[in-house]
Amino acid sequence: MLDVRGEICPYPMMKAVEALKKLQPDQDTLEVLTDHAPALTTIPWEAAKMGFEADIDKVGSPEWRITLHRSTAPRDPQAVMARLQEKLTGVEA
Amino acid sequence: MSVQALPRTTSLPAIRFSRGLAAKIGVILLAIILLTLFNSVEMGVSWGLGMTFGFILQRSRLCFASAFRDMFLMREGRNMKAILAGIAVATAGFALLMQKAVPDPAAGAFPDQAHVVPTGLYLVVGGVLFGIGMVVAGGCVSGSMYRVGEGYVASGVALLGGLAGLEAAAHTWNFWFRFNISTSPIVWLPNSLGYGGALLLTGVLLLAAYLGVTWWESGRPPMIAFKKKAEDEPVTFQANVARSYRRIFVKGWPMLAGAVALGGLNVLAFTYEHPLGVTGELATWADRGAKLMSLGAPKLLGVDRLAGCNLALDASASWLNHNFALDSGVIFGAFVAAVLASEFKIRLAPHPRRYVQSLGGGVLMGYGAGLAVGCTVGAFFSAIPSLGLNGWVFGLSLLAGSFAGVKIIQRIA
Repeated sequence: MLDVRGEICPYPMMKAVEALKKLQPDQDTLEVLTDHAPALTTIPWEAAKMGFEADIDKVGSPEWRITLHRSTAPRDPQAVMARLQEKLTGVEA
Repeated sequence: MSVQALPRTTSLPAIRFSRGLAAKIGVILLAIILLTLFNSVEMGVSWGLGMTFGFILQRSRLCFASAFRDMFLMREGRNMKAILAGIAVATAGFALLMQKAVPDPAAGAFPDQAHVVPTGLYLVVGGVLFGIGMVVAGGCVSGSMYRVGEGYVASGVALLGGLAGLEAAAHTWNFWFRFNISTSPIVWLPNSLGYGGALLLTGVLLLAAYLGVTWWESGRPPMIAFKKKAEDEPVTFQANVARSYRRIFVKGWPMLAGAVALGGLNVLAFTYEHPLGVTGELATWADRGAKLMSLGAPKLLGVDRLAGCNLALDASASWLNHNFALDSGVIFGAFVAAVLASEFKIRLAPHPRRYVQSLGGGVLMGYGAGLAVGCTVGAFFSAIPSLGLNGWVFGLSLLAGSFAGVKIIQRIA
């Protein structure tokens, strides 16, 4: 779990990217906790470019958990964001 | 085939009472009570403009700092393109208003409330310093103001740094005025091109900027804003009201909507008195504070001849003036928006060094704004629509400063 609460742009995104780069080959997921709404767009986008899919859950007010997991699908950030949109129906993003 | 009519009701959506709801009702009442404290129409209008300004910024998360920064950090131009669209909206409105004020621009006069200042080296220095400062501080002046309204403590520290920087600019103003500002020419495009030519040139430049941003980010598909899946619930009056409410007050707005709304608000502000700008009043606050410590700025040369967010430091004016109402309205409007969206929280920075970073960035930003007669709002977002060359020069300088700022923040984890 990467906790970037309190950080504002661009640090939540930069730290998430850094953590994804350090992820061991046998680790498949990274959870990011943020209270900064703009990060809900920037983190999944940058992660998608590195081959990760994203899920977002609202866990507080305002606090979100972004779950990034390795994907075997081709790296297509736009498709990843479109899938995230579909999943986001219940999330106040 | 007949269309099944939906039952039409006039009752509003069921509302459950909770602590959150009490807070929401509370901020609305507070906004109304504060409004009644202002004893003039001018104060009330400015408070309303400021509140709307802050509300738009918070809802659309429109951030001038990230517009410039993300061009280099992520090669992402979505914010910048939204802001260019907002500038285009304001340009059309400003031109109409200025044409009423100065029907014959060829005579050499220019509208005194428009943000037209001399074009010179001082603008470049101010813009570069401001650009570095806003990237390091994590938000420009208006951005830090709306984040204070959302509860970010570090943004408050950035504003304090900004006040110190503005006061430092006031102390060195006379040097800059003698060295460069007094000898730099005022270039107001309608003087030589007429309104049509100035509008055409501004339009072409905005289009070129838009295409330039698009070229820069090409190769990377544009970032998609989150959209909710279409809901299948019946389109009753209740559901429509609830959906509209959520769209406006709970969900984040598309950035483009925020930028265009801000451009429109800027036209309203100019219609009433003068275009939007926040740093002139902040400079007055800074100098009042400095005077308490016997560190007040000397008499500043030529500021009365400059429009916009100048360092007038009008100590004779009551602190409860219309610009105070505007600036405090920005913070309060963002606060109201954040509470209504359940996004308000007092947020401390995770590391003490963030406060140092915000303070340092704020000082650079304040100095740049003081020198260049305004911030991303007054000297850029309000200046390009004023049809002065100064807005473009300041904007390009912000871009250069942001590039340097990105190099700095990539070294501060």
